[in-house]
Amino acid sequence: MTFDAKAFIVEQVEAIPKQVPGKAIIACSGGVDSTTAAVLASRALGDRLLAVYVDTGLMRKHETEDVARTLKDLKVNHRILRAADEFFAALRGIVDPEKKRVIIGNKFVELFEREAKPFGADHLVQGTIAPDWIESGGQLRDRIKTHHNVAGLPPNMKVKLVEPLRDLYKDEVRAVARALGVRVAERQPFPGPGLAVRIVGEVTPDKAALVRDASAIVEEEIEAAAKDKRLALPWQYFAVLLPIQTVGVHGDLRVYGQTIAVRAVDSIDGMTAVYSKIPHEVLDRISTRITNEVPGINRVVYDASNKPPATIEWE
Amino acid sequence: MRVYVVDNGGQWTHREWRVLKYLGVDTKIVPNDSPMSDLQGLDGLVLSGGAPRVGIDPEKMGKNGEYLDAFGGPILGICAGHQFMATHLGGAAAPAKVPEFGKSVLKVHHPDVLFEGLPDRFEVWESHNDEVTVLPPDFTALASSPNCSVQAMRHRERPLFGLQFHPEVEHTQFGSDIFRNFLKVCENSTEHEVLGA
Repeated sequence: MTFDAKAFIVEQVEAIPKQVPGKAIIACSGGVDSTTAAVLASRALGDRLLAVYVDTGLMRKHETEDVARTLKDLKVNHRILRAADEFFAALRGIVDPEKKRVIIGNKFVELFEREAKPFGADHLVQGTIAPDWIESGGQLRDRIKTHHNVAGLPPNMKVKLVEPLRDLYKDEVRAVARALGVRVAERQPFPGPGLAVRIVGEVTPDKAALVRDASAIVEEEIEAAAKDKRLALPWQYFAVLLPIQTVGVHGDLRVYGQTIAVRAVDSIDGMTAVYSKIPHEVLDRISTRITNEVPGINRVVYDASNKPPATIEWE
Repeated sequence: MRVYVVDNGGQWTHREWRVLKYLGVDTKIVPNDSPMSDLQGLDGLVLSGGAPRVGIDPEKMGKNGEYLDAFGGPILGICAGHQFMATHLGGAAAPAKVPEFGKSVLKVHHPDVLFEGLPDRFEVWESHNDEVTVLPPDFTALASSPNCSVQAMRHRERPLFGLQFHPEVEHTQFGSDIFRNFLKVCENSTEHEVLGA
């Protein structure tokens, strides 16, 4: 026996209205999990559902336009909120990765509750999946990291939570997404706190721009290489901005610039992972492009750690 | 067939549940302080791994001891579940000289029912700070890794098995075969031993 995505869909489309007698909003980041949850909930609730996407200023390149298109194509009733200033203000001066995650989780709920009120929703649907609550810990289980949608929720939250994907892992969510015709079914995972956890140290709009541009290059080069069959597309691949300055030489001038770590891993469910064996010529192109095209970066390193002992994201 | 997973707080408890579910087993995750009466009529039990350090905070292992004494049917202890099985039944567990995290190679010295049909050397994934240092009486060590001598053990008569590595994660080779072999034990163990009754 394996996972039966069609049966799961039927089951959830019946179950969700029982949990939500009135109206609900759904937190939608445009990733596989929340988009899948949005389509399921939309099928179950129709116009009693409002999907809310928040542009936190910590999104990937072109993400907001892309999500708007996805939700429109899927005919999900939705709203796009632009809240970058609020997020950067809340994160000012914060270095501790766990604090970042909690601040972001709280901010999300504040915005969702602000939207829920005029819409008349008393439920919040989330695309929480198994690793989110497992790694967030509780009782006997140690907290590995605060997933913003679980341990980052404020204790005084007014809306009630509905989490249809709670027992699934990413590979199973992808199967549901495919069965629902969701365009982003094969998209690589992206953490809820976004680029904030890919900036080691304080989060600022400038640093977000650097890591966003570097990540776009990693994505373009790895996707192009996968298309030409020079490598198998990893489970996840991105850039991390390190709080380390090192010496470089640019046009016979000394520079003292910042460092990007490239991370790529292979996994099935995110609970264990091995670092991807990216061919050197692909790494070479990524490195040359980042150090030439992203001003301020003069060094690129590759992360060769598995999970465990490391985790996939750096924070 | 009904086999439950006793949750000792592991990161991969839910993976154990998923592997069993995929193998067609009627399964459920239960807290480790569930009363014995909740486990009546089951065909087997898995004692999960977890954050508790068995040597340092055994009280966090709930009623695992009671299950080992009175459940009677086949039990598979994984990581902390394996270490607790050893200490509870008269052996010992202590901080490992070399803790193992991530990839390792298992060498099976004593082919037993759990490893039936598998090669004698394969890749397994680890995540432990402690290890079994003294086997309990009536137990046989079945497998080792370069840094850990008791990677697998079993009771010579009773259907009690312990694994230090994690057969439930995707990156361990032959993980679901090991579970399948355990389920065969559960299936064949028609006579529920009556212990302490």
